[in-house]
Amino acid sequence: MLQQILSSVFSTDFLASVFRITAPILFAALASAVSERAGVANIGLEGIMMISALSGVLFSAWSQSAFVGVLGAALMGALIGLMMGFFYLKLGTDIILAGIAVNMLGGGGTIFFLYLFTGEKGNSASIPSKMLPTVDIPILKNIPVLGALSGQSILTYVAFLCVILVFILFYKTPLGLKIRAVGENRNAADSVGLSVNRVSYIALAISGILAGLGGAYMSMYYSMGFNANMVAGRGFIALAAQAMGRGEPLGTMLSSMLFGAADALRNNMEGTGLPSQLVSTIPYVITIIGLSLYTASTMNKAKRARKNRALREKKGDAV
Amino acid sequence: MNNEKRLDLKFGIIRGAAAILVSIGVAAVLIFIMSDTPFEALRYMLISPLSSSRQIFGIFERMIPLMFTGLAVCVMFSANQFNLAAEGCVLLGGFMSALCAIYIPMPPVIHVIFSTLIAIIVCGAVMMVPAVLQTKLGANVMVSSLMLNYVIQYTVQYFLVNKFADKSQGATMSLPFLETAMIPKMNYQTSWGFIIGLVMVLLVSIFMYRTRWGYSIRMVGINQKFSGYSGMKVGGIVVLCQVIGGMLSGMGGSVEILGYYDRFKWRLLPGYGWNGVTIAILAKNNPILVPFAAFFLAYLSKGCVNMSIYTDVPSEMLEVIQAVIFLFFAAENFLAKYRQKMVVKQAKSELKHTDAKAAREVAK
Repeated sequence: MLQQILSSVFSTDFLASVFRITAPILFAALASAVSERAGVANIGLEGIMMISALSGVLFSAWSQSAFVGVLGAALMGALIGLMMGFFYLKLGTDIILAGIAVNMLGGGGTIFFLYLFTGEKGNSASIPSKMLPTVDIPILKNIPVLGALSGQSILTYVAFLCVILVFILFYKTPLGLKIRAVGENRNAADSVGLSVNRVSYIALAISGILAGLGGAYMSMYYSMGFNANMVAGRGFIALAAQAMGRGEPLGTMLSSMLFGAADALRNNMEGTGLPSQLVSTIPYVITIIGLSLYTASTMNKAKRARKNRALREKKGDAV
Repeated sequence: MNNEKRLDLKFGIIRGAAAILVSIGVAAVLIFIMSDTPFEALRYMLISPLSSSRQIFGIFERMIPLMFTGLAVCVMFSANQFNLAAEGCVLLGGFMSALCAIYIPMPPVIHVIFSTLIAIIVCGAVMMVPAVLQTKLGANVMVSSLMLNYVIQYTVQYFLVNKFADKSQGATMSLPFLETAMIPKMNYQTSWGFIIGLVMVLLVSIFMYRTRWGYSIRMVGINQKFSGYSGMKVGGIVVLCQVIGGMLSGMGGSVEILGYYDRFKWRLLPGYGWNGVTIAILAKNNPILVPFAAFFLAYLSKGCVNMSIYTDVPSEMLEVIQAVIFLFFAAENFLAKYRQKMVVKQAKSELKHTDAKAAREVAK
């Protein structure tokens, strides 16, 4: 059995499935990174993904164009992000509670609206929604292992492109500087004349767009349609991935891929006779362990740094 | 009670009522959009749950798990710990007590107490995981508790499907509970668990407002650093409040399972933990208000179910209403301008009062 698992893990298919599974988590984790760096903990990602997943299906069915579907999903994500911003910044709702509210809308509300628009309650199979195309990369697809990079959905490439885009946003644009300044210290940013609220709104909107793309990916490619509760905690896993990646685009990508690999491993192990329910816990358990190990190591580092500084100061005194 | 406090209370009530009205207004608009018989649907949603004693006991029946999770979330949120694993603990507590109810024969009453105790102990212990990971290693409690919910769900599913399923039944469910373990019915379908819930409300209120531990929990919630500087063991209190939260939710799961069901049938997270968050917000983390908030939510939930049975509006309307209540009820600045007006009005009248008094003194 172990051999069976190992041989399936070291295969092109497995690598391809890691990318496929990572993409929605990566979108959501980047979304979380953008809002977190602006000092706003967006835990409504799960709900935004659900709502956008439904919007993607509905928009693409109406327009008969996958592109319009993705656009609609992203717009819907931005709208929800702005709505959260409105309640948080204008009406003073705790951002975590606003996030839970969005998640509730994503859980029951999407079923409600699915029924409103299609008359079905479980899934969107009855409406002719469009799926995202896959892209074959000519030369790459014939190379043994790297072939995994070819034939992915177009949004998978966009997800990894977004890592670079978010990096550029953070470190090469004035807006990114503002976002980081606001996240570092709202009052200080305010005192130098930044419009803190506007920056927060923008960050939440960007966060919503990214999560919305993740939702579109789920319903327009990954699951081939909208199902109730289809996001299944990916929005929450993304929070952990972001926390482990410390809100840095590259780190967030790596930790997202770790969770993607854990999930891919689960898919692979389902055929091996291991009980599927226990295998299903793997990504969540790894998330808890990974998060704890990561925060523990940073805490230790901080402690050591403090100790070193204290030592150095003592030496300085002696001199 | 001084004037300022009275004004706060008055404003709090007005704002809460406004938030609820807004949410029901949103529901009404949606119903008018989607239903062929909107007035019928609204009648079922808002009036039918109160129309007969059977219906009202139906509300009580729904209140049972909500009171427990509401209390659990109240305790944890009072200390500002956003632990969301109450959801998983309800499922786990129900499962643990179901196992005791099936496989360990015992005399009546004691059987119920024993099964519930097991649920309480196990859930309290499980809640230590996110709590200790947070205090010792600094892992974000919200994220780890959310993950824990899924771990619990799949683990319970595994044991239910592979180890404890009654193979003679079509759907996945456990063997039937022993008679001795079931909590008897009070009236209609409502079990005595309702009274247990009310007793717990009293106990938790006393705990939170009349004991040192409760005081420390609330102080940590108000200002964690200050509590630490004034000598409280913050880490211990943070763990304590989450363990209590886990115990209460586990107890809720057990009371619900033994009072309402005759076999264990939950395959997915039952959702009571999230409702508990709604209740804690409606009750402003005050345990004594939990039954009222639970009644309101149970009333809405019963109304939505009635509506979905008799008309063409699905019961998921409840989540939409809850989300809207959530957003507005927790909004500190909602109607802030109105509050400002109230304050100004009161200040003016007070000023007039003192002016008149001063004038009278001068005249003398």
